[in-house]
Amino acid sequence: MESKYRNFSKKSIPYALLVLLAPFILTDDYYHSVMVVAGMHAIVVLGLCLVMGLAGQISLGQAAFWGIGAYTSAVLTTKYGIPPIAGLVAAAIIPGLFAFVLARAIAGLQGYYLAMATLAFGYIVQIGIGEWESVTGGANGIIGIPPIGFFGESELGMYYLVWGIVTVLLIFSLNLVHSRVGRAYRAIHKSEIAATSMGVNVRQFKLSAFVVGGMFAGISGGLYAHYMGILDPQPFGLHESILFITMVVIGGMTNVWGALIGTIIIEVIREVLIALSHVIPELKGDIDTIVYGAILILIMMFMPEGLVPRIRAVYAKSKASKRDVQPKPERGEVA
Amino acid sequence: MAELLQYVANGLVSGGIYAIVAIGFITIYNVSKVINMAQGEFLMLGGMITVTFISMNIPYAGAVILAILLVTALGILIQKYIIANAKNANPISLIILTIGVSTLIRGVASLLWGKDPFALPPLTSNDPVSFGGITVAQQSIWVILSVLLILFGLWYLMDKTMLGKKINACSVNTLAARLMGISPVKMTMLSFAISAATGAVAGIVIAPLSVTSYDIGALLGIKGFAAVILGGLGNPIGATVAGFLLGLLESLGAGYVSSGLKDAIAFLILIAALLIKPSGLFGERSVGKGGL
Repeated sequence: MESKYRNFSKKSIPYALLVLLAPFILTDDYYHSVMVVAGMHAIVVLGLCLVMGLAGQISLGQAAFWGIGAYTSAVLTTKYGIPPIAGLVAAAIIPGLFAFVLARAIAGLQGYYLAMATLAFGYIVQIGIGEWESVTGGANGIIGIPPIGFFGESELGMYYLVWGIVTVLLIFSLNLVHSRVGRAYRAIHKSEIAATSMGVNVRQFKLSAFVVGGMFAGISGGLYAHYMGILDPQPFGLHESILFITMVVIGGMTNVWGALIGTIIIEVIREVLIALSHVIPELKGDIDTIVYGAILILIMMFMPEGLVPRIRAVYAKSKASKRDVQPKPERGEVA
Repeated sequence: MAELLQYVANGLVSGGIYAIVAIGFITIYNVSKVINMAQGEFLMLGGMITVTFISMNIPYAGAVILAILLVTALGILIQKYIIANAKNANPISLIILTIGVSTLIRGVASLLWGKDPFALPPLTSNDPVSFGGITVAQQSIWVILSVLLILFGLWYLMDKTMLGKKINACSVNTLAARLMGISPVKMTMLSFAISAATGAVAGIVIAPLSVTSYDIGALLGIKGFAAVILGGLGNPIGATVAGFLLGLLESLGAGYVSSGLKDAIAFLILIAALLIKPSGLFGERSVGKGGL
């Protein structure tokens, strides 16, 4: 038996090198800001991966937790003058509480019911943010949110802060997946009835998955608020939730590394589309929406397990055929 | 009193639209156990295509018929080339797949028509009619009439014709239906065609009342689904009643509580319904918490 965390140790070196050196490979300030936002998205997507891939629960309202986190920290720092770091902590706790209440309410639901409940929750939150003018500033939003001030206010400081948090949450997720808890989640994903009969408290695990997912999204939202300095309700709707779903799905829902790789793939596609729209002005519409839609369709039609597990399966097969040994089954794999 | 009646009248108009969307969901679900998250997009396309044809100087009736035919064809194509080919189709995959379809359609629509809203001229004149102290747009009466006509047409199709019996047979037991020489594949395709066509009609009749734009589908779709849940998944009559009820509650809530919260009301009702009675108000046939 290898080490429990073999999957991390093996891949951690190229990952760490890439994260540390990326700002020196793409030195432009613009790329730094892209990488900062990519890191924030990656945090949400890691949480969504735990909800969707690990616990098998669909959430179409993840942008709502992101928004709650962003507004929590923004309101606390601008109106009550608390330091941004404390705001960030609150940005993890408050969305976590929301997720807890929502999940407690809807933990008994599955499939379409759960999808619609989370979708409705997302809409309610976005409308609520827009309407609660005395606190959120309504459609005008909040301005003058203080920066976190990590290593001054530099783009690079923010980059290392965000990706540091990504790394911590990545390690947390990988350990969770390989722990006893992770096995329980996988059992729920396969069959709730079987899991229940083995003594797994299904309700409690589903609840915790939603709470962890909500907290991840909240932390990311808090970072986003302090990074942008201004907030309005617009980015926290269905469009963003679908973006997160696309990121999770393309890499492989059941795969933590896949979630991270999926995020980066979509970020790269976004940048390519932005570059293209400068060349071809006709592409100004929601061309990114078309791409997300097409990706979701193609992935679900041809490789519902996602890119990373598929590539790994193909790789294992070619290796096995060389050795003339049957590959290990890859179904329902994690990590 | 007049105020209340006015809200009720407005509520019935939008409620009728939710009822049609809900029936569209159920028509597909009953035959194929798929919830088509792109249902709202059929409404959007119905309205937008009609606007385009009218701007090309095609007569109103011709534009409407062409739009309905095009949307119906699209519904069939989506079923045939996308939904039918999905591998490992568990509910999560199907939800993500149809969300992909809806996202793709919305994106293409934004590219074709841009993000500006369009207005469709009303079927008859713009002059409102008033009776008994309430004023309604003439178009509202057309909406109600179309809703009733669609509901009657679907009831007639499902209950009185051989084709309807075949569709019902598939929703009761696919294997048995197949053994009796009914093609479930064809019936599934037909259910997509029906729901696309009725959706397109709903989108066309409602377009003159409010403006139509590339992104109205998501909101209309989820409100229709709220009606489905409220009425009980799989139960068309329940969904119709729930659709009207939802429209009423929304209109009353917007009138007496806050108009800004209008769209949130349907979702709050949806979540409340899921909490209190997931099987829906009239849901004997649905599984509620289980399976799907």
